[in-house]
Amino acid sequence: MVKANVSSLTPILQATGVHKRYGATVALDDLCFSLYPGEVCGLLGENGAGKSTLVKILSGIVVPDAGEIALEGQAYQPHNIVDARTRGVSTAFQELSLIPTLSIAANLFLPKPKVNAIGLVTIRAIEELTETILKQYAVFDVSPSTLVGDLSLGLRQRIEIVRAMLREPRVLLLDEPTAAIADREWLFGLIESLLARGTAILYITHRLDEVRRLCKRCVILRNGRKVLDAALEDMTDDQIFSKMAGRSVVETYPIRESNIDEAAPPVLAAHKASAAGVNDVTFRLRRGEILGLAALEGQGQSSLFRVLAGLVPLKGGSIEVNGEPVRLRSARSARATGIILVPEERKTEGIFNDLSTAANISIPIINRAARFNFIRNRKERQMVERGASRVDLNSRYLWPNINALSGGNQQKAMLARSLLANPKCLLLFDPTRGVDVGTKQIIYQVIRKFAREGGAAVFYSTELDELVHLCDRCLVMYRNAIVAEVRQEELTPHLLLSLAAGHKIDAYGTA
Amino acid sequence: MVMSMKQASREKGRPLPSSLFAAILYVVMFVIYSINAPSAITLGGITDLLNNTIVLAIASAGLTLIILAAELDLSSVGVIAVSNVLVATVSTKMPAGTIGSLLLVCLVGLLVGLVNGWLVAFLGLQSLACTLGTMIMCQGIALVILDAPGGEVAAFIMNRLTDTVFGMIPVAGLILAMVVLAWLLFRRTRFGIAIYAVGTDAVASHLTGIDVKGTKLRVFALAGVAYGLAGYLLSAQTGTGDPRVSNSFLLYVFAAVAIGGTSLGGGRGGVIGSVIGAAILTVMQKLLFAVGVADFYTNIFSGLIMVVAILFGNLSAILTLHQRMPLTRHGDHGYSAQ
Repeated sequence: MVKANVSSLTPILQATGVHKRYGATVALDDLCFSLYPGEVCGLLGENGAGKSTLVKILSGIVVPDAGEIALEGQAYQPHNIVDARTRGVSTAFQELSLIPTLSIAANLFLPKPKVNAIGLVTIRAIEELTETILKQYAVFDVSPSTLVGDLSLGLRQRIEIVRAMLREPRVLLLDEPTAAIADREWLFGLIESLLARGTAILYITHRLDEVRRLCKRCVILRNGRKVLDAALEDMTDDQIFSKMAGRSVVETYPIRESNIDEAAPPVLAAHKASAAGVNDVTFRLRRGEILGLAALEGQGQSSLFRVLAGLVPLKGGSIEVNGEPVRLRSARSARATGIILVPEERKTEGIFNDLSTAANISIPIINRAARFNFIRNRKERQMVERGASRVDLNSRYLWPNINALSGGNQQKAMLARSLLANPKCLLLFDPTRGVDVGTKQIIYQVIRKFAREGGAAVFYSTELDELVHLCDRCLVMYRNAIVAEVRQEELTPHLLLSLAAGHKIDAYGTA
Repeated sequence: MVMSMKQASREKGRPLPSSLFAAILYVVMFVIYSINAPSAITLGGITDLLNNTIVLAIASAGLTLIILAAELDLSSVGVIAVSNVLVATVSTKMPAGTIGSLLLVCLVGLLVGLVNGWLVAFLGLQSLACTLGTMIMCQGIALVILDAPGGEVAAFIMNRLTDTVFGMIPVAGLILAMVVLAWLLFRRTRFGIAIYAVGTDAVASHLTGIDVKGTKLRVFALAGVAYGLAGYLLSAQTGTGDPRVSNSFLLYVFAAVAIGGTSLGGGRGGVIGSVIGAAILTVMQKLLFAVGVADFYTNIFSGLIMVVAILFGNLSAILTLHQRMPLTRHGDHGYSAQ
């Protein structure tokens, strides 16, 4: 745990009776809490508990309906984000507030980059400044003039965090700061240096180990109400989870009753496959198997998934489905062979924003509910409900717009969509990212069940624990190539980590 | 950022700016044109060509700003019509008519732009729909001011703006150069960068603290002024007022922007491309006339050339699409130990 340097007992930020409702839903109900200088306070809660609303209120994006907030003893009612920033409150958003078509340098200094006497932005000056800043914050190997859109998700998240820290805030809000970052030590190091300066940090996450590591105290929200505000030391994980969920959910993994069919030809196999970002990859995925994939950010895992899903053409080698060589020319042709991708970026690659959840689920297979090209609503409803029940998605979420759903429920809908297509092989790219504990459990069970019933899955995750507990076997990628294959008996987070970081361990190195 | 885009493209081998392909196409078309019409490369021919280009160029420059901010604007022809009839009615009658009418049309453009911007940014209306409304309204106002073609444009405007200075530099060329220069400076201002940001992702822009509504309002206002200027320059060329500026002109404005490679999705592109786009469309008409394409066929050919031009203008985007590479990233060093 980080040593908190609690210099005084006067809170830097104090909220009393904060209330916010959106239409009929109460997002925050009579919330009182304080934040002390030099501490990291964990903010926990399932999706939809009100964490994001609190962040938005504190950063000036949303104005509360009632309640008072005081910052350093003075009333704090920011009208916009610039207001909040000038008062010393800055935020790294979960959804990343970066502009992909602008450079890193421009993004760091928005909305008011430095200008010269005639009002022109001094590109060279801000790029030089950015260079120093990036070095100072230990973000290496990236030029300040690079467009943010060309960065990996992990790097973008780093830039978002650096930007929030850059303003030397008195209060820093970090909303799921490690969702896409594999190297969490980087962030923890920065947090410690901020604490030494007396900054107060509100840390929002789904990951309990991070809270334990960083925070002495945590606040748990459920349905917009504060249900707990206590020191972490005295609490067990189970107690915390049950407070969050209102029921007892321990992070458990379904029993691994593997049902691998050794005799059948592999569901999916790659032989010396190479493409842009993928180097000489060979593996066999058998029926009933969950094949893990461990890798740090940007080691080619995303390219490999794209190749297997038919989104990136293969340059060399071959891919076999059920023992027969195939050419995957498009996502459609991959689907036709039974390979279905559950993509990395749910927001942009997964959901159709303005459609109902039901339509989101049924879209790829809507033909099955149509007669003479007209959709039969009853048939669609049956289909969708069948899919929803497989992923434990409450049917009351089916008919509203998918935007209104929490990340966890959206992800369930994505899984339902994939399962309805009767896949033989699922490609799951970090399916539990930004998803609450309860939903994670369901996702694990769904994947397990899918494998038990004869499916096969490639499963990439940024959480090593998941790989260790869920997979039958795990491949490790490093620099676009598979560097190791770890058997189930030998899976430990530690081993995966060192392999993924490029350490060669004799027994495992296949290179 | 706009300018570091250039740098980055060199470093990373990113495709060249799309306006370059459009520029190449223009040169090719101009060469063919000048072979068929030798007068094209005389000072008079060039001045004439530039005069024909400039109205479309400035109107499409205005529209480019709107499209960069991920909005649409149909009001250009409306503003041009009002400006044209205003210049034709007042420039000869008021004192200092040249400057006076110039200020007047800028003011009209600004006003229409502010109305558009207010409707779009602050009332949240669809820009396509409400600018359609203001366009029709402006055309109506133009008819009220001047119910039939006629009027008279001050001789100074007509003669000076279509002529050359020092007997060698076409005024229209000078104005175009000023527009390009102004753009090069403008895109480096905070406002310029904000337009790209808002057009790329309005939500993220809001979260970074950019005034999204204010930016959109100002974009519409600025575009309105550009349309007003375009109307003024049109009057200089026609020398008369006509309340019914052809609606097909509107499509040419959009075509110029599209040929210039500005993405209709917002956030990508620039004014230089649109100016080249306007030049291509103008030289295309001259070219068809010069090679003697019969009247019936003109539209077929101009449509065809337009498609080719758009293809060319977006060549770099198309090329990137085909060789898009999931970039390999560096930067991460380790999972944290549990």
